[in-house]
Amino acid sequence: MIDFIQNLISGIAVGCIYALAALGFVLVYKSSRVINFSNGQFIAIGAFAAYALTVWVGLPVLLAALLAMLLTAGLGFLVERVFLRRMVGQPIISVIMVTIGLASVLDGLMYLTPFGSGNFTFPQFLPPGGLELAGINISYPQLMAIGFTMVFLLLFGWFFQRSVLGIAMRAVADDQMASMSLGVSVRRVFGLAWAVAGLTAAAAGIVVGTVSGLNQDGLIAIGLAVFPAVILGGLDSVPGAVVGGIVIGVLQSFSTAYLDGVLGQIGLVGGGSQYAVPFVVLLVMLWFKPHGLFGTEEIERV
Amino acid sequence: MKRGFVLAMMVALGLALAQGRTVNLLWSGAITGPTSDVGGPYAAGIEDYCKYANEQKLIPNVTLNCIVRDDQYQNPNTQRILEEALDRAKPAIYLGYSTGAMLQLKPLINEVRLPTIPASAHIGLIEPPHNQYMFLPVSSYSEQFVALLEYINRTKKNARVALVVNPSPFGRAVVDVSRRAAARLGQTIVDVREVGGGNLDNTALLRALDAAGVEFILHQNVAGPVANILKDAKRLGLDKKIKQLGAIYTGGSDLIRLAGDAAEGYLWASSYYTLDENAPGINLQKQLAQKYNRSADILNSTNYTAGMLAAAIAVEAMKRAAQRFNGRIDNATVYQALIGMNGPNAFKPGFAVSTKAGIEIDFTRTEQTGAEGLRILEVKGGKFVPVTEPFTSTLFRQVRNP
Repeated sequence: MIDFIQNLISGIAVGCIYALAALGFVLVYKSSRVINFSNGQFIAIGAFAAYALTVWVGLPVLLAALLAMLLTAGLGFLVERVFLRRMVGQPIISVIMVTIGLASVLDGLMYLTPFGSGNFTFPQFLPPGGLELAGINISYPQLMAIGFTMVFLLLFGWFFQRSVLGIAMRAVADDQMASMSLGVSVRRVFGLAWAVAGLTAAAAGIVVGTVSGLNQDGLIAIGLAVFPAVILGGLDSVPGAVVGGIVIGVLQSFSTAYLDGVLGQIGLVGGGSQYAVPFVVLLVMLWFKPHGLFGTEEIERV
Repeated sequence: MKRGFVLAMMVALGLALAQGRTVNLLWSGAITGPTSDVGGPYAAGIEDYCKYANEQKLIPNVTLNCIVRDDQYQNPNTQRILEEALDRAKPAIYLGYSTGAMLQLKPLINEVRLPTIPASAHIGLIEPPHNQYMFLPVSSYSEQFVALLEYINRTKKNARVALVVNPSPFGRAVVDVSRRAAARLGQTIVDVREVGGGNLDNTALLRALDAAGVEFILHQNVAGPVANILKDAKRLGLDKKIKQLGAIYTGGSDLIRLAGDAAEGYLWASSYYTLDENAPGINLQKQLAQKYNRSADILNSTNYTAGMLAAAIAVEAMKRAAQRFNGRIDNATVYQALIGMNGPNAFKPGFAVSTKAGIEIDFTRTEQTGAEGLRILEVKGGKFVPVTEPFTSTLFRQVRNP
């Protein structure tokens, strides 16, 4: 039983990292219907910015993390102003291609820096080991991931339900033309969505960097690993991103614990089912519930 | 007028001959992209050794042109770079990189008869078919794994072992040969797991292996995933219970940087000397890193040593080809020089440890592994230190093929 609970808790912790990485993705989609394929690059840039500020500039880690999140938010805002704003009203496939191109450009720019090749680690700012309770162990970086996710979830919950800007964002997501006719600045909403997406991506990058070190490809890969989570939760649902991330994290943990051994016994070398399980879930979800668990089901009347 | 023109032509020809010829060496690998933490220092090692070879005129009357290209770990890029080079530069030797690309390019390399020294030590590269022109600078991953199992057998009989490998041909290469070796040694391969990058939590893996009574985990991977497993093992208190070991690319300065004090006690099979040792190759490495302003990270990387060793073998083969074939340096003569690099003609650049017979690097037509000696190193006080004398696996040749 202890093993089961431990695997569950570990899965939830990893799921929270996925959720954190997925939040920015969902925010951009929720407000502008743009699928942001450069989410992983924002995660990497945020993490490297925090590293540069703390190791090269000498700032305390937490201050560096805060500044890195703000800088990445600024980058998100800039990207929207320079690239995405021109695409308003263009076919969705064109917008998607722009984000794919953006990912490529950001990749290339990072390769020009020392971060393009090599592994880096943050100076240790959390206590070593983990928190042990009744035989259940959880590392401090994982606790930080859970904390970040919960804080962002609460903030976004309040923001979208109570604040004028949040309600404006929901209105824009629902109907851009109607929102504009009511005086909502769609451009402002888009810019804000990209900025907040940059901020949450940086938070995810910092958490991943604390857990497993900083490596450009590793960080970018997290940005892609969230796809099953957002498809499961629903592309336009913030709570869905969290639930989706946690479900995927737990499934990965359980498949490593219980499925890999069975696969090994029947002669399938290596197991590694944790890599396949999220995508099996993704396919099943697309089959039965294409809008995800919490996604908005759009009904088109013709 | 006519006499003056002929004179000018002769002077120009004389100057050209005095400057010597240019011979091309090609390397392509991941300077950026996945595994660039290995490829970056490896490329730097090749570049620096090439500069050194030209400055020291290691090949008389020949200017070495080292073409170093970034393929971003993309097989199509590797193929394009090689095909372009074959078309335009006609390299005399090719220093390759990844397992996947090298396996894909084996038929082409065999067809054009291009001597190739890959960074990958996948045993499949030197096994038929199309293996004639492939030469591994150090012992294969498979041989290192068998050596690690032999080492375990010296410390614990009938051990229960798990293999944790990268989900790729690079990782899977060691599984079958390890099973055969373990059976001979009376060991039990309890489980084989695949773990790639992005392994944010390894609790389930480690608890499952612990529950299965695993005493040793053997890693065939790159440093990142291994570091994460080591950190989680320490956090879960399993670092004392389960000993972890690994082959070539799992160890080195990257592992220590990423795992911190969780790396303490990790055992690593390596053919290379460490930076703390007084070996001619290592001394040269330090000298060149300083001369060409390489960072401490590059200098400390075993992959920088590995790149230099690959380049040193290539340059030595070119030099011997020139000596033996009246200055002719091309793929055919370099191949002959490589397969003649044995016995009294074995090469001793001082980057890798020697076997008991005192041989560092040797190749024959059928024996395509360079450095066959290796040692087990252990992380002690934040450094890898040798805990064995150089040895060669005795069992590997018996279990290499089923």
